[in-house]
Amino acid sequence: MPDNGGFMVAAYVAAAVIYLAYSVYLVRKGRTKG
Amino acid sequence: MTPTEAFERARRRSAVWIGIGLLLLATVYVRALVFTPAEVVQGLAQKIFYVHVPSAWVAFLAFGIVGVSSAVYLFLKDPRLDLFASSAAEVGMVFTTAVLVTGPIWGKPIWGTWWTWDARLTLTLFLWFVVLAYLVLRTAVHEPSQRARYSAVLGILGALLVPFIHVSVYLFRTVHPMPVVLRPGKPTLPGSMLATLLFSFAVFMLFFAALLWHRYALARLADARAHAAAERDDA
Amino acid sequence: MGELLRAAWAIAAKDVLLEFRSRTAFVSALVFTALVLAIFNFARDPTAVSAVDLAPGILWITFTFAGMLGLNRAFGLERENRALDGLLLSPASRTAIYVGKVLANLVFVGAVEAIALPLFALFFNVPILPVLGPLVLVIALATVGFVAVGTLMSSMAVNTRFAELMLPVLLLPFLVPPVTAAVQMTARLFAGRPFSEVSAWLRLLVGYDIIFVAACILFFESTIEE
Repeated sequence: MPDNGGFMVAAYVAAAVIYLAYSVYLVRKGRTKG
Repeated sequence: MTPTEAFERARRRSAVWIGIGLLLLATVYVRALVFTPAEVVQGLAQKIFYVHVPSAWVAFLAFGIVGVSSAVYLFLKDPRLDLFASSAAEVGMVFTTAVLVTGPIWGKPIWGTWWTWDARLTLTLFLWFVVLAYLVLRTAVHEPSQRARYSAVLGILGALLVPFIHVSVYLFRTVHPMPVVLRPGKPTLPGSMLATLLFSFAVFMLFFAALLWHRYALARLADARAHAAAERDDA
Repeated sequence: MGELLRAAWAIAAKDVLLEFRSRTAFVSALVFTALVLAIFNFARDPTAVSAVDLAPGILWITFTFAGMLGLNRAFGLERENRALDGLLLSPASRTAIYVGKVLANLVFVGAVEAIALPLFALFFNVPILPVLGPLVLVIALATVGFVAVGTLMSSMAVNTRFAELMLPVLLLPFLVPPVTAAVQMTARLFAGRPFSEVSAWLRLLVGYDIIFVAACILFFESTIEE
C-alpha cells in the first residue's frame, strides 16, 4: 500500500478548517448584528 | 410573531443545528479515518473520497438551488427568492471551495499531479468562478431590486452554462488525453466503505441545510432591518 | 417582428454612426490588438515552440480581450447624460434595444477582427488564405456567441462601480465553450486538417450560440426595469 497518509491528513484538516471557519463566521455574524 | 422575531428564532435554532452538523462531521471523520478499511491500491489517500465526494454533491446541489430560485424569482418577483438564492450561493461557495482544495490533495498521490483538467474538477472550477461572479456582482449593485434581477439573470445563465462546459471539457479531453501516472480502477465499494460514504452524504446534507437555513435567516433579518431603516428615514 | 427589427436596426445604426464619428474607441481597440499581437511574439521562445502551435490560442486570446474592450464601451454611450432613459421611453421594445446593441457590437468587434486577422497572419507567418472561408465562419460564429452574452453582461456591469473589472469577471466563464471550440477548430484549420474532423466542436459552438442568444434575448428585459 503506498505511503500517502500525509495527503489524507492534509485534506481532512483543510476541509475541517474550511467548514469550521465558515460556521464560526456565520454564527458570529448573526450575533453581532443582533 | 413579527417576521423579525420569527427569523431571530430561526437564527438561534439553526445555529444549534450547525453545531450538531459540526459534531456529526466529526463522527464522519472518526468513522472514515479509524473504522473504515483503507483501500489497498490507492492507500490511505483514498479516504479523502469520503469528504470530497459529498462536498461536491452539496456544491452542485447548492448551485442547482441558485439556478431554480433565480428562475422562479424572475417569474414571481418575490424578493425572498432572491435572498434564498444568494444564501444558497454563499453557502455553496464554501462547499465548492472545499471540493477544489481536497481534489488536488487527493489527485497528487493518486494521479501524480496536483491538477488535471479532468471533467469534474474543471466543471467545479468554473462553477466556483460563476458563483464568485454572482457574489461579486451582488456586492457591486446597491439597489435591492436591481441586485435581485441581475443576480437572477446571472444565476440562470450560469446554470445554462454547466452542460456546455461539461461538453467542452469532454471534447477537449477526447482530443487531448491527459497523461495519468497511476490510474485507479473504479472501485466497487465493499459494504463498510459504502456505508461510510452514505453516512457522510447524510451528514453533509444536514450540515448544508443548517448553514443554508441560518444564512437565509440572516438575510431576512438584514432585509427587515433595511426596510425598517428606510421607513424611519421616510417618516 | 418587422417592427422589432426596424427598431433594432435604428438603434444599431445610431451606435455605429456615433462610433464612426468619434472613432476613438475603434482606433484604441485596433492599437491594443496590434500591441497584444506584437507582445505575444516576445512571450514565447521561438526556438522551442513554433508559431503555428501557439497561433490559434494567441489569436483567440487577442480577439477575446479586444472584444471585451469593445463591449465595455457599448452601454457607456448611454451612461452619460442618462441617455438610456431616452432610449427606454422610445417606442422601441427592450428586445429591440438588446438586438440593436448586439448588432452594433458585432459591427465594432467584427471590424477589429477583420483588421487584426491579416496582422496576425503577418506577425506569426500563418497561412490563412487557403482556409479563409472556414476560418471566417468559425470567427463569425464564435463572435456572435461572445457578443450576445457580452452585451448582456456589459448592460449589467455598466451599472457597477468598476465596470471594466466587472465585465471580465462576469463574462469570461461564459466564454469557455465558444473560445475552446474556436481555438480547436482554428488549430485544425491551420494544420490543414479536413473541416469534418471538427464537426463536434462546430455543433457545440452552434448549439451555444442558439441557446445563449435566445436566453439573452429572453432575459435582457429583466436587466432593465424601472
